[in-house]
Order: sequence, then structure tokens, then C-alpha cells
Amino acid sequence: MRVTDRLLFESAAKHAAAARERFEAASREAATGVRVQHPEDDPGAASVMARTIAQAGRDAAIGRALGSASDELQAAETSLDAVSAALSRARELAVQLSNATYGANERAAAAEEVTGLFKDVLGRLNQKVGSRYVFGGFQDAAPPFDATGAYLGDTGVREVEVAPGVTVPASVRADVALKGAGGGVDVLGTLQSLAAALAANNVAGVQGTLDDLDTGIAQVARARSEAGSHLAVMDAARNASLSAHVDGQTRLSHLADADVIDAAARLAQAERALDAALSAAAKSFRPTLLDKL
Amino acid sequence: MADLFALLSWSSSSLSAHRASSATASHNLSNANTPGFARQRAHLEAALPADAVGARAYVGRGAALSGVSQARDAFVERQLPAAFAAASYSDARANGLSGLTALDPDGGAGLTNALDAFYGALRQLTQTPGDRGARQAVLAQGRVVALAFNRAAQNVAGARDGLDAQVARDVARVNDLAKSLAALNRQVRVEQASGAVPNDLLDARLRVQDELVQLTGASVVPDADGNVNLQLPAGGALVNGDAAATLSTQKDAANRGHLAVFLTPPGSSAAAALGPGALGGALGGALDARDGALATAERDIDTLAYDFASAVNAAHRNGVGLDGVGGRDFFAVAASAVGAARTLAVDPGLLANPDQLGAAASAAGVPGDASNLFAIIQTESAALSGGLDVFDTLAAAIASWGSAVDSARTAQGRDGAVRDQLTALREATAGVSIDEEMIALTTSQRAYEAVLKVIQTTDEMLDSLMKLR
Repeated sequence: MRVTDRLLFESAAKHAAAARERFEAASREAATGVRVQHPEDDPGAASVMARTIAQAGRDAAIGRALGSASDELQAAETSLDAVSAALSRARELAVQLSNATYGANERAAAAEEVTGLFKDVLGRLNQKVGSRYVFGGFQDAAPPFDATGAYLGDTGVREVEVAPGVTVPASVRADVALKGAGGGVDVLGTLQSLAAALAANNVAGVQGTLDDLDTGIAQVARARSEAGSHLAVMDAARNASLSAHVDGQTRLSHLADADVIDAAARLAQAERALDAALSAAAKSFRPTLLDKL
Repeated sequence: MADLFALLSWSSSSLSAHRASSATASHNLSNANTPGFARQRAHLEAALPADAVGARAYVGRGAALSGVSQARDAFVERQLPAAFAAASYSDARANGLSGLTALDPDGGAGLTNALDAFYGALRQLTQTPGDRGARQAVLAQGRVVALAFNRAAQNVAGARDGLDAQVARDVARVNDLAKSLAALNRQVRVEQASGAVPNDLLDARLRVQDELVQLTGASVVPDADGNVNLQLPAGGALVNGDAAATLSTQKDAANRGHLAVFLTPPGSSAAAALGPGALGGALGGALDARDGALATAERDIDTLAYDFASAVNAAHRNGVGLDGVGGRDFFAVAASAVGAARTLAVDPGLLANPDQLGAAASAAGVPGDASNLFAIIQTESAALSGGLDVFDTLAAAIASWGSAVDSARTAQGRDGAVRDQLTALREATAGVSIDEEMIALTTSQRAYEAVLKVIQTTDEMLDSLMKLR
């Protein structure tokens, strides 16, 4: 093939430009550590990346929501534990002071203690986690119990997503667990009745609260058990979500990230190629008859 | 019989021939870097008829210039127009599709991350539906989604508008060049009628022809009169002899106001719209990029924006805000998918008052009920108009765009390599080698000097003759 001067110059310019382009691409990949930045870099991987980002994000969001729900339910369970302890103590007092050997003074002192237990229970049931009252159902903006123990919340059960589209209960129905809706006993009312009977030195009245206290203790235990089982489900789901999130991030990294060693090797290769292209171009320009004539 | 005066006369003719040879080499050297220039060769031949000396011998009459030709390889030249057209088409298409970031899978403010963050904020709100801060966070993420769609739509529309500007510029250039080619056809015909070959005029015409082919993808149809006629890919004549057609553009309302190209054939005043595929070259490539992959991306983004916002709105309307009122939209979205992404916004009333966010299924559930938030979250996995959910629809659009750009780049590389190869072959034949021309120049110079020596010798011979007594 006949090689003209312009052919030499154009070919040198083209080869140098191509080598420089490859060098720039290799340099960008090595510097950013990203292999797939635009869809055209790898259309298949880019498409999977979008789904993976969405899945990983969804898993992380579900995990975060489960964390919040778990904190609330944990707080509810702790409160119920305290209620349970208060009921047990009230039952002890009721059994003890049902005995005729105790007098009005002892019963008045016990009435004070039961009133204290009532107030303590009330305080725990009006507990807030973040901005929500734990036992208010959907009425979570105001304390669910007033000073008399009347329930101001509703029957709503909060839910949390454990998997895409799958929800589980994330709250305790205080109207059932504490107020006896649906056939149980009003735990707070029972404590108040016991306190009143003790204060009035009414032995029969004190004895009359024992059955309700037993039922109440069982009722609260059942609610705690339900809360515990929900917590177990939520913990398992949260672990699964976090694990799925990590898996997603790993998949994303495999899809989008550059292999650092490979990228560095390609950068070195591209640099060498650019250097060679420039050297070859410089050498090819030199021999000319103009210098000899 | 040749006398000394005839010898002087023949030498003078030879000097002219060698001067022409030097001038040709000099012309070649001067145009070594002129695009489209084909090196020329001065052809010298022995002057005829030779002078008869006696009955049995002829004495030559020196050298004469028989002509100046240009070096062109007809085989390569015949293949070049198609190669130019294909490479320009691929270049324009690939360049038109470059630089778009709207569908980057992991762009910081891209659609994927914005939609992901929106659903994440909704999920967070399910645990504190009455919390105004969390409500504000959902609205903020809603705005991010709307802005991501706005930006994506502007990005694609900007690319399409840019190609419109390129089309308008190319159309004006085509009209200028077509007129030039028609005029050059006329000049070439006139020059060739005298029997001479107007090499530089042919180069000028080839340059115009090459550029027109690159711009329009027209095929070259030479005729017996020496004209170069150009025919557009769909069959319309762009240049016919010394008459040129005219291209024009008009906004096409059916194509979002983008420019449509019309052809007014030579000698006609009726402009006909050129449909898809009627133009090749850079114009065809730009139109293909604009109305092909970019239009598809624009439709995909618009449809996704419309379907997504409509689905969220439908779910949101079923919920009630902290004020107990329902039936409100979350997004302000266009009435149809066309242009939906560009105008998408969070409903202004909702944006001004986060209490209106319909988290609860009923007024009785306010503020703690998040049932309707779960229903809104379900739009994430609900099938949209294309049968796929939000993220699968987005992933399909990303894959479609990526494949289109990838295949355009592959075609660009392939067609560019063919063009470069043929251009190199053209250069190998027609290009100027400075070494060759320096040798040719030196050769002519030497011959010129030799003829001068002949003149000097003849002069001395004449002088000697004159001094005879």
C-alpha cells in the first residue's frame, strides 16, 4: 500500500486518539471503582442493578420499620410485665388482707400500696415511644388512660410489614388486655376495687377481687405472650431483611463495581498503549526526503 | 531535416513540458493537505510527428505535454459514498444518544434511587403515621421523585431538541451544497466540452458530493453527460444535472413539535414530507436517534411517571388525612401520559399541609392507623399499564435504552472502520506523498536543466556556424 504523508499523520492522530480514549476509560474506572455507570456500559447489568437497588432499599426500609415497631412492642411487653408484677403484688395483698387477723389500719396501709400500684401501672400504660403512646391503638397522640383508668384509645391494631406486602400485628390491644373487652376483666378497675375495699376495711370486698385478679393476671400474661410471639416474628423478619439487604448490596457491588486489580491492570495496559502510540507517531513523522535534499 | 533553429524551437517546447511537470509537482505539494485533493500527474510524451531525416531515419522533436491527469481508484471511489453514508448515519445516531444520564441505574438523583427512597419513607411512616416530621419526610421524598422525573424528561427532551437544531443546520447546509453541486455539474460539463479534464473542478465537485452523501445518505448516479446526480435513499432526486432539490423543515405537532423534513424536488414547488428512512447519513442518523431510542425513552419515562403517579393517587384517595378528610391526590399529574414526567409534582395542597397525607383508612383511625400507607406501598409491586411493576418497568426502560446505545456504538465502530479503511485506500491512491513529489520536482528540474544545456549547446553551435568565414 502506498503510504502518503497525510495518511501517516491521520493514522497517527486516529491511533493516538483511540489509545487516549481507552486510557481515559480505564483511568475513570480505576478512579471511581465503578464499572457500570450508564446503561450502555452493560445494559443487562444496568437493568438488574435497578431491580437490585430497589430490592435492597426495600429490605433496608422494612428492616428499619421493623426496628421501630419492635421498639414499641418491646416497650409494651415491658409495661405488661410491670402490670403483671403489680397484679401479682395486689393479689398477694388481697390474699393476705382477706385474713380476719388483720385490722383496719393494716388494710388502709395496703390500700395505699394498691393505689400506688394503680398509679404506677397507669404511668406505664401511658408510656410513649417516640411520638406514639404505645397502648392507644390508633389513638396514639394522647395518653390512652385517664387518671381514673378509663380507656381513651381505640381498638385499632397497628401493623408492620415483615416482607413485601405481608404485615403482622405490632401492638397490643389495651382494651382487651387491660380493660377486658370481649369477656375479660378490667384490670385497672379491679385494682381500684381492691384499693377501695381495703380502704373501707371490707374483707368480703377484698376477697371478691381475688377471682378478677387471677383472671387479670392470666389475661395480661396472654397479652404478653402474644406480644412476645409477634416480637419473635418481627425479629426474625428484621434479621432476614437486613441479611437480604446485605446480599443485595453484595449483588449490586458485583454488578456495578470494577474489579480493582483488573481495573489497575487495564489502566497500566492502556497507559503503555498510549505511550507506544505516541512514540510510534513521533517516529513515523521523522524520516522525510526534505531533510536529505 | 532538423536545423539548429528548429532544435531551439523544440527545446523551447520541451522546456514548457518540463515546466508543466514541475508546476504539477508544485501544485501537488501545495495541496498535500487539501481535503479531497487528488494528486495529479503531468504526462510527457515525445513530440510528434518526428522529423524525417533522409529516407530512413526520424529525428525526435523533443518532449511535449500530453495531459495532466488525477490519480483516482474507480473501485474505491465507487464504494466510498455508501461507506460515508453508513458511517455518518452511525456517527450521528451514536452521538445523538450519548450524554443522556436520565436512565443511569444508580445515579445519585436518578429515578431508581428516588423511587426507592419514596417507598422507604412511606415504610418509615407506617410506624409513626401521625408524626408530622415523618409525613414531611414522605412529602419531601415525593418531591424528589417528581424532580427526578422532571429532570429525566428534560434531559431526554433537551437531547431531542438538540437534534432538532442539528437537523435544521444540516438541512440548510444540504441546500447550499446541492446548489453548489448543480453549479459544479454545469461547470464541469462546459469544461469537458473543450476536451480538457478539469481536475481541480472534479476535486471540488467530489468534495461537495462527499459532504452531501455524508449528510443525506444519497446515492451517486453519474450520467453520460458528465453530471453527478444524487438520489435520496427513498428515491427522490436531490441533485439532477444542474437542478437541485430543496429540503425544508416544519414543526410536527404529532411528534411533540419536533422538526419534520420536507423535500421539494427540482423544478417543483410542492414539498413532500420525508418519512422514516427517507434520509440517511448524518440527517438520517440524527432523526433516527431523535425519533427512535430517544423517543422511546421519553415515552417510557412519561408512561412510568403517569402510571406510577396515577396508582399512588388512586391508593392515596382511599385514605384520610389527620383532618379526617379523604379523596385527595398525592401527585399533581397530567391528564395523559404525554408529557407527564415533565410536569409531575406533589399536590400543592398536600405539600403545604402534610396533615392531608391519607395514611389512615378511615377518619376513626386517625392519627395512628397506617392501613392506607400499606395500600400505597402496594403500588410498588402492582402491575402498571405495561404489565410490570414500577421497578421492573424502570429496569426494562434502562435495558432498552442501554441496548439501543450499545448497538448504536457498535454500529458506529463497525461503519467507521469500513469508512476509515476505504478513506485510507483513497488516500493511498490519490494522496500526495511529499517524498514522491520532491523526487518528481527534482526530476523535472534536472530535465529542465538538461534542456537548457541543449539550448546553450545549440546556441554555441549556431555561434560557431556564424563565425565561419
